[in-house]
Amino acid sequence: MDSEAAGGAALVEMAGISKAYGGVRAVSGVDFTVREGEVHALLGENGAGKSTLMKVLSGEVGGYDGEIRVSGEPVHFTRPVDAQRAGIAMIHQELDLVPALSVAENVFLGKELKTRYGVVDRGRMLSETGELLDRAGVDLDPRRPIEQLRTGEQQLVTIAKALSLDARILIMDEPTSALSSHEVEQLFTVIAELRRGGAGIVYISHRMDEIGQVADRATVLRNGSVVAEFDARAMTAAQASEAMVGRPVHLMFRTEAEPDSAHLSDEPDGDDLLRIEDLVVRHKRPRPGRRDPAGISLRVRRGEIVGLAGLLGAGRTELLETLFGVGAGKPTGGRILLDGEEVAPSGPRQAIKLGIAFVPEDRRIAGLSLEHSVLANTVLSIVERIARLGAVPRAKERALATETTERLGVKLASLASPVGSLSGGNQQKVVLGRNLLTEPSLLLLDEPTRGVDVGAKAEIYRLLGETASRGVGVLLASSEPAELIGVCDRVIVLQDGRSVQEIDTASVSEADLLAASMGEGAVSEELGERS
Amino acid sequence: MTEQTKNDTGGPGPSTVLDPELKRARGTDLVSTVFRFQSVFGLVVVFIAAIVFSPAKNGELLFLDSSNLFNVVRATSETGILAVGMTLVILIGGIDLSVGSVLGLASVGAAVLLVNDDLGLVPAVLVVLAIGLAFGLLQGVAIAKFGIQAFIVTLAGMQIARGLARIWSGGQGITITYGEGAHQAPLTFSLLGERTFNGLVPIPALIFIVVAALAVILLRVSAFSRHIYAIGGNEKAARLSGVPVTRVKILVFGICGLLAALAGIVHAGQLNFGGPNDGAMYELDAIAAVVIGGTSLTGGRGSVVGTVAGALLVGVLRNILALNNIDSNIQLLIIGLVIVLAAGLQRLRPASAG
Repeated sequence: MDSEAAGGAALVEMAGISKAYGGVRAVSGVDFTVREGEVHALLGENGAGKSTLMKVLSGEVGGYDGEIRVSGEPVHFTRPVDAQRAGIAMIHQELDLVPALSVAENVFLGKELKTRYGVVDRGRMLSETGELLDRAGVDLDPRRPIEQLRTGEQQLVTIAKALSLDARILIMDEPTSALSSHEVEQLFTVIAELRRGGAGIVYISHRMDEIGQVADRATVLRNGSVVAEFDARAMTAAQASEAMVGRPVHLMFRTEAEPDSAHLSDEPDGDDLLRIEDLVVRHKRPRPGRRDPAGISLRVRRGEIVGLAGLLGAGRTELLETLFGVGAGKPTGGRILLDGEEVAPSGPRQAIKLGIAFVPEDRRIAGLSLEHSVLANTVLSIVERIARLGAVPRAKERALATETTERLGVKLASLASPVGSLSGGNQQKVVLGRNLLTEPSLLLLDEPTRGVDVGAKAEIYRLLGETASRGVGVLLASSEPAELIGVCDRVIVLQDGRSVQEIDTASVSEADLLAASMGEGAVSEELGERS
Repeated sequence: MTEQTKNDTGGPGPSTVLDPELKRARGTDLVSTVFRFQSVFGLVVVFIAAIVFSPAKNGELLFLDSSNLFNVVRATSETGILAVGMTLVILIGGIDLSVGSVLGLASVGAAVLLVNDDLGLVPAVLVVLAIGLAFGLLQGVAIAKFGIQAFIVTLAGMQIARGLARIWSGGQGITITYGEGAHQAPLTFSLLGERTFNGLVPIPALIFIVVAALAVILLRVSAFSRHIYAIGGNEKAARLSGVPVTRVKILVFGICGLLAALAGIVHAGQLNFGGPNDGAMYELDAIAAVVIGGTSLTGGRGSVVGTVAGALLVGVLRNILALNNIDSNIQLLIIGLVIVLAAGLQRLRPASAG
């Protein structure tokens, strides 16, 4: 093959890799290679075997069949340290950082720099971390504790940490899931630099547009086997999706039946479900990395899906949190009108009573109790409501949970299964289901499809469309322009905690939306880079 | 362009393929049941061992004698009642170190009110229970409202309750005598030292059984219990789901204090004595029963059934060791090892077992 010569020598060759967990084959007979200076994308739905394959390569799981060669030498890893010594580093989807430690301490965790006297050399660690952060294109103080950083910033720290390993082979599992578009571009610059240095990169992502941009080759896994290989640049999203799920996928976001937005915007303002006027939240102690609303105005009508666009730190999450009563402070200016009545939600309970539901940004941290059953998680918000004399009627809660999981198409063994055993997409559907059970009139969602595979993504979009068509107003914060354009009727762009622009999604391209999020000044530069 | 498609022939479509993850989840259901009730299995094992090692008298096994068996339950009843409250606290991811001291305070309170103050039985009991409830609620407020760690708050509560008990009793134990005269407790109170059902079931054992049964029912059916488990499983998610986290936490510590006071009343009635120094280390026995019972110290996982079995397991073990005249110091060693063993078994429990 011609690409053999172009891509350079093989760094990693995996041949006939099989791995089973207690009789269940997670990966069977997979061949996978990474060449010098190559970005090789690995695609597949959740549970297709991507993570298992990469855990074999990074030494996190042993007991596999097949052969691995690194630079032609046969190897057999049983511990992550073995793989690291062979120059393989993995950036995990789960951010394995110690919250209380600083950025620098995390980057050098376990390999702290010492002075001659055996004392930790803080100065050198700080300056070297600073350089790594610069390389990763991040503007962060290395002294800041991790717990003060937003998810996206934490993700950038893990990338800087991986860079510190000087690995020859870098495995990136969903490295951009929490990054803003601008930061994604920066990451790509870093990747380009790494590949010029001869490193090989395995890139796992659910975002098709990224793969076309950054990868050379793409391999698709389904049910533990390789089902297709593509030239990543020539691959279309439709081709890849079809290979991943095994049937054609229509990323049709809205259903045909829903009322169109043109019709809605003709209606009088009195029909606004949610109306925010010049909302300002000022907190006594400003929280680093957060941006409270500093002048936001918007409205959401019944049956309408409104998007919130903006860079990381533009204040999308904080606006949703304020509406749900879990923000840092009380509104100090402006008004929130729900159904024409001024409201000031003081907490989730009151917000839920007002008919507001909230799907938070990180379902593992804020959305679900993973060790508990699907049933318990699904009905948690309404157990009080359906209880008679404090007792929960079992038949009724089962019926409600069954109906909800079926309507949302949650794939599960039984309602008693721990919700943590479900795939990411199905977990997200459980969070959504719990919220819909409260019969909200306003549904707030923060990055609802992060880390969710393409099939589940399409289903979540369908559910949002369905929910809106029943008259629910939806406010959706997302950092994926395609999602905002595909799903929303209108998009409000936030910048530095202010609403700066309202965009009709019918007449806007992804590039335009991206440019709007970046602010006027950056538009030309950003577009120039992309074209 | 090297575009090739492999293995994509015929075969069952993805919709008919059984998701391997689903199969795995089903398999763990049985395993998780065993682990969830490990202390019940442990109790059966210890019970059988006790029969095997029981000394015999006149061809009868001493251990299996019904009065001995009920003695086991009676000896377990005070820590058992404490452990029921402790289970709720640990389920929300908390801990209550004050229960032993509150038990002492309640026993003093019962004695002082009945003997020194000549209060009637019902008002005296109600006042003592109210003191325990209030003490627990206050600790709950400090923990849930002001965000101080439960370990610290209840460590302080342990000192405070002990100090109050000593101040109230004047530093001396108060002996309870029964009768109609001044400075005598009503005879009814002495029932706590008696047995019912043909002199078979000790009253404290009966109280323990009733408390445990009520707690089991509460945890099975109530919306409150869903909130308890949800808080222990993921407090942030629980709060965002509309669970009244602060209120539930305060209430749980209140219930724990109430049950500690009840155990103190039982204690005073069994010994006819209000002891300001009584109940020391009881909190640790209660925590041990909860841990042996399979309740996770990180919260969200466990059951009162497990705790009751855990408490009884320790009781049976103590009983059979005593029947065999094993030195009490050796008993401590053995019980210590059992706690470690139980915690070790927890580690083997599959992560997904709920």
